[in-house]
Amino acid sequence: MRDVIAAPTAGLDLRRHYGHHQSAAIRAGGLIFCSGVLPIDPETGERLHGTLTSEAHVIFNNLKLLLESAGSSLDRLVQVHALIYDSIEYDVLNRVYRQYVANGPPARTVWTAQIEAGFKVELDVIAAA
Amino acid sequence: MGLIREVIPRLEGAADAKGGSSRPGAMAVRGGDFLFVSGLTAADPQAGESTAGTTAGETRQVLITLERLLGAAGSSLDKVVKVNVLLDSMLEAPNMNEVYARFFPDPPPARTVCGARLPPGVKVMIECTALA
Repeated sequence: MRDVIAAPTAGLDLRRHYGHHQSAAIRAGGLIFCSGVLPIDPETGERLHGTLTSEAHVIFNNLKLLLESAGSSLDRLVQVHALIYDSIEYDVLNRVYRQYVANGPPARTVWTAQIEAGFKVELDVIAAA
Repeated sequence: MGLIREVIPRLEGAADAKGGSSRPGAMAVRGGDFLFVSGLTAADPQAGESTAGTTAGETRQVLITLERLLGAAGSSLDKVVKVNVLLDSMLEAPNMNEVYARFFPDPPPARTVCGARLPPGVKVMIECTALA
């Protein structure tokens, strides 16, 4: 059984705004597989480039909206892949990260990658449904 | 515990992420309800050799291989839940996306695309998780 989770707000429909051939998330086998979450304005779809800190705040807010619309939450994250543009900002990511996943944090891997549109961070996650 | 773990046999003639058949990894493994597919790169299905090309061409080749592999494992493209696409250059993302959209049904799976350092000459690598 594969359920499609629609974008929780108009701005987060990356297909509509940017033509990405992807669903916001898919629920299957008791898990929710999310597409990479980016610092996009949840209402307008505008790209919110900024510091890694500001981008990460927007991303966690968007992720919260997505997971809650699917009946899950940040507390139910199982695995997080955090892509950052430069490993020198690892500690900067952690400072924001702790504010959103304080208790019983999920498994996590952080690595450096080229992120679309020159963003500084992107989160790729799996949560329990 | 009784969860099934089954290694899916290699496709005949298919190369893998290193462009050869010597990599110590399966192309896909079933675990429980899910099928986990290794990162696939473009390979000539006859010669089993990597076929360097354009991002669009490599994407097409990888997805043809993926479709065959999923079929051989009893799954299919419409059962894919999550795809990770690794590109040699994110400037090529639109070229990948255009070909990609022709393979995956509507509504498509969840997806993350990023730029990464891939094996020499490789422009696209695609891994995915599907329902078995």
